Amino acid sequence: MIDPITGLGLVALMGALATIAGAAEDLESDVGSQSNPNSQVQLAAQMDFPHRIFNKAISGEPPAYGLWCATGATVASVLLAQNMSVIFAIAIGSLAGAILLGLFSVTAHMGRTASQKRFKQPVYMDMVIGHVPSIMAHGFIAVFCIVSFSYIMFEILGHPFPLPLLAFLWGITAGAIGSSTGDVHYGAEREFQNQPFGSGLNAAQSGNIVRKAESGLRNGMDNVWACAKFGGPVTGLALGWTVFFDNWRSTVFSGMNAVIAGLIIVLILILANRLVEVKARKAYGPYKDEEGGAEPA
Amino acid sequence: MSAVEGGPASGGLPPNTIIAIGVIGGLAGIYLTMLNQTFDTKIFSVMGGIGSIFAVVWGADAVRRVCSYGLGTGVPSIGMVALGMGVVAAIFGLIIPETGILPIPTILGPVISFIVAALIGLVIGVMSNKILKMNIPIMEKSMIEIAGAGSLVLMGLSASIAGSFAFNDAILPGVVSTGYIAIVFIGGAMTILHPFNANLGPDETQYRTLYVAIEKAALIMVIAGFASLTVIDAVSAAVTMLVGLLIFLVYFNKFMKSVHREAYKVVGTGLLPSAEELE
Repeated sequence: MIDPITGLGLVALMGALATIAGAAEDLESDVGSQSNPNSQVQLAAQMDFPHRIFNKAISGEPPAYGLWCATGATVASVLLAQNMSVIFAIAIGSLAGAILLGLFSVTAHMGRTASQKRFKQPVYMDMVIGHVPSIMAHGFIAVFCIVSFSYIMFEILGHPFPLPLLAFLWGITAGAIGSSTGDVHYGAEREFQNQPFGSGLNAAQSGNIVRKAESGLRNGMDNVWACAKFGGPVTGLALGWTVFFDNWRSTVFSGMNAVIAGLIIVLILILANRLVEVKARKAYGPYKDEEGGAEPA
Repeated sequence: MSAVEGGPASGGLPPNTIIAIGVIGGLAGIYLTMLNQTFDTKIFSVMGGIGSIFAVVWGADAVRRVCSYGLGTGVPSIGMVALGMGVVAAIFGLIIPETGILPIPTILGPVISFIVAALIGLVIGVMSNKILKMNIPIMEKSMIEIAGAGSLVLMGLSASIAGSFAFNDAILPGVVSTGYIAIVFIGGAMTILHPFNANLGPDETQYRTLYVAIEKAALIMVIAGFASLTVIDAVSAAVTMLVGLLIFLVYFNKFMKSVHREAYKVVGTGLLPSAEELE
């Protein structure tokens, strides 16, 4: 059993790794428009708005990250069994995960674009060559960090699950958090930057995403540049807190006390969410009321 | 009929041909790993991986048929359901003969798994249509197919890692305890759900979707082969990886060719189509 101070240090390190992983995960999905914002990218071409935005419909983020992280951890644990050094093993494993991500990205983008033939959406090869390395690079950072903190959990904190299974579960968690936290910034704000703030997505605007950049045509790089200012870091914070608080409570407390501490943390988070929501409503006006006469946006 | 409008998928190989390919190919691959015991080697583990590719083709085609009824965002979910049903059925079917509760020979394990998967699929399919009222005409049949394919993929990949489908002797220590079950599970699910999701659109074609299914299944086979390095010997692992890599290269190439052939146009770079062009 490790002493409490070292334990807390490790928990802090895991939280830091998770923060980087979360940010990289969300930004990776923004480069390629995966997950929720993807539906509007897919729709754009069909509504006569051809575009130069990467259409990476691999699957939802949670199963996708489950696969990249499980791959990274599987390769890493095979290499660890051959007595390779830990950092090297995890780095090579993450590279394998990133390569897999790249290959899935290529088929997703090219397949979907080819299936939009009747809407005259061309396949731009420079986009494939330009975006896939960036997707893989972000993916590598995310997978490396997730497999790393899973390794700390497994090897040092003594979690009973084997490494690939732990990384798989944390990959799904990272994907779910990225999908629910960061996507809003890209999907609701960046894609519809030309709409009045807070107006919601009118059905008439479906698919009418912003297709022109400050200079030239907008692509995934412009989107990740914008999302790196808020969506990405917030996702990182969300995953970092999840990993940190979850491990903190089980390191500081034990048995039933850890469960109670967990419940208290959840209660505080619910309360904080409510406060933020009320503050935002006061600052940005009331929600539109369908029956009582909507206020113009 | 298009995927956007919602309706039965069409074109290419008929469903029954694919079902036959999936069931026979999948089960044959799993059973051919028994040659390992006959010849006292591990080299035939590669057959499990090849069997899983056949099963993935079937699963991806079943997903394609059911998801053509306008299940846009439901495509990933259905892939996860497939392997969810498959993993329960596979473990149950493989373990039942080994417990000795019922007088069934161990060799029937994969077949029992397959039948149990079909039964679970039927229950889920009936629930989706009758209780959730999804009212997709082919839901029950598709769920049976997807669950069956899921269980075959799981058993095929597990057998390729462990070198045998015997649960207590090979799969439990080699695949479950090591955690490789994670990659088998999520890899199998993604190979079944990704092909149709990646090609979703009104101009999707069955061949292109199935090319993706084959090349992605081959990629997962490569990873399974790498994982088997710690479970069986290096030569057998290398054979699985090389065969997987070869199949991947061939079918990735076919996919690329079909995109170049079927897309509106493939250009190095360029501006957006003009308004006149879009008319």
